[in-house]
Amino acid sequence: MRKSARPPFTIKTTMNANIYLPDLMEVVQVRQQTADVKSVRIRFRDEERARAFSFRVGQFGIFSAFGAGESPFNLCSSSNWQDFIEFCFRRTGRVTEALWNIDEGDIVGFRGPYGNAYPMDKWRGKNLIFIGGGIAMPPIRCAIWYALENRDQYGQITIVYGSRKVGDLVFQNELDRWAEYDNVRVVTCVDPGGETPDWKGEIGFVPTVVQQADISAENAIALVIGPPIMIQFTLPVLSKIGLGDSDIYTSLENRMKCGVGKCGRCNCGPAYVCKEGPVFTLEQIKRLPKDF
Amino acid sequence: MSEILSSATLRRLVDQWITEGRHVAGPRLVNDRLLYGWLESAGQLTLDGETRPRNSIKDFLFPRHEKLYGYKLGRKRVELTEVAPLVDEQIVIAARPCDAALGPILDRVFNWDYSDATYNRRRELTTIVTLACQSFDAQCFCTSVGSGPDDPRGSDVMLHALDEGILEIRCLTEKGRRLFAGQTEPSALKAQVGAGPEIRFDLGKVGEFLEGGFEDAQWPEMARRCLGCGVCAYTCPTCHCFDIVDEGAGGQGVRARNWDACQFGMFTLHAAGHNPRSQQAQRQRQRIYHKFRIYPQKFGTLLCTGCGNCTRNCPVGLGVQPVLSAISRKMQSNDEL
Repeated sequence: MRKSARPPFTIKTTMNANIYLPDLMEVVQVRQQTADVKSVRIRFRDEERARAFSFRVGQFGIFSAFGAGESPFNLCSSSNWQDFIEFCFRRTGRVTEALWNIDEGDIVGFRGPYGNAYPMDKWRGKNLIFIGGGIAMPPIRCAIWYALENRDQYGQITIVYGSRKVGDLVFQNELDRWAEYDNVRVVTCVDPGGETPDWKGEIGFVPTVVQQADISAENAIALVIGPPIMIQFTLPVLSKIGLGDSDIYTSLENRMKCGVGKCGRCNCGPAYVCKEGPVFTLEQIKRLPKDF
Repeated sequence: MSEILSSATLRRLVDQWITEGRHVAGPRLVNDRLLYGWLESAGQLTLDGETRPRNSIKDFLFPRHEKLYGYKLGRKRVELTEVAPLVDEQIVIAARPCDAALGPILDRVFNWDYSDATYNRRRELTTIVTLACQSFDAQCFCTSVGSGPDDPRGSDVMLHALDEGILEIRCLTEKGRRLFAGQTEPSALKAQVGAGPEIRFDLGKVGEFLEGGFEDAQWPEMARRCLGCGVCAYTCPTCHCFDIVDEGAGGQGVRARNWDACQFGMFTLHAAGHNPRSQQAQRQRQRIYHKFRIYPQKFGTLLCTGCGNCTRNCPVGLGVQPVLSAISRKMQSNDEL
């Protein structure tokens, strides 16, 4: 058995801190994004907690509807926003069914932030390519807003966002606002057959649209998040235009319960997605066993 | 010189501890089967018979069902109530060394980065009195994973059975010394420790295989007869995967953590339908990799104590030892070619 360096180990006795106890958050806004997707803004009820709280874009939280359970979602608001944090979900199971029915003023649970984040500091001075599919826009949206709010620190921003049909695009109202910023290009697309008569975006699958968008890889990084099939076919396109494996980032979204490296289900080989992830470079992913 | 006490004294102490309000657990016969359980009196404590209980002492440090906190829903209101922390001392008596070792192993899981206060509290309040092994069955393989019949890891006290109801006692920690202060006597008798079960596989060869064997054809082959019942994980001292669920009705209830197992198909199922481990072979592989590569790379020791419960309880004769023996044999025959 090969033994790697053992991390220093001490028991930190934190008698009163129950790491599973969530903060109680007040729902301040619920917005229906598509037929089955909603975004929810929540704020800490405890003023002191609100002031002490901070996170980095790319991190996630564990959100709860009491009586139904907990689910992990990305924090899709920018870390610069002080008054609330936001998450976005598709109605698909027990917890999201319960969350679907919440209104302003209701209480939900939140614990986090957990996991690593997008290296926004490292990306300074770079051109940013954001590619998202369907419900995967929220975890990119936080990075987009962060970059736009620090516009002078980043170069050209290219956003390619696709979904099956027009009605499945989330944060549609923000796409135009992003395009108004200097040096920002927004390309939207829907799968063939998913367009409406007044659709002005592209028609085609995300990998093809990326290929035809004439995006420069020079001094660029790409953040690609979407269904496995979209990622699988988009990566070769990015490699072809000249992006290296260490310049391509994604966020893995494995099933989780604890969020703190204990419950044992989110690992991809040796990497615990809740701790070492959720953000990985393609270079890191290629070193992992095929366990995702 | 050594220290000894009689099994009669031990039983008297067990009764005394119970009377004093401490929770005492140990091997007891339940429907003719040896299982670790809470003792109501020392008479239930079974010090001989089967090689080891079919379950593990995991229950006493990391219960199969544990309330994390309570919730009560009102109109636009949620009230969370903390669960009263454990206050009573727990003593596990006659644990096997392959059970006692779980403490230091689970400590790492429950304390890397985030400290799990409930677990730590339970651990601090628990004293583990281990009984060194003298008999082994065909499923025991502690010696194959670098352990043995009197491995002191995780034990506060080590007992060795001598002749005629006499036990040699070695108090290994302050907790252990406190428990038996004034109850033992010096003696010239000294326990002879046997060699333990024969070595059943070559751990080095297993490590070599796991290095590059993730996609080996052996996994589907070996997993074919697995029923996916999860009994291996439930009776394992070191398996610690859990689920977090809300249990309640009528607007109030508890959020609890329950044991879970990587052998279940739902374990890794994504909300969108994708499942990274949709096949039983992938789940079997995960269990072996977690124990013999992932955990060791993180924490420096194996996530397996060689107790053999996975195989002892398996309806189809799988479990760690048969799988690793097959791997080890395969690697050895490769060497010979």
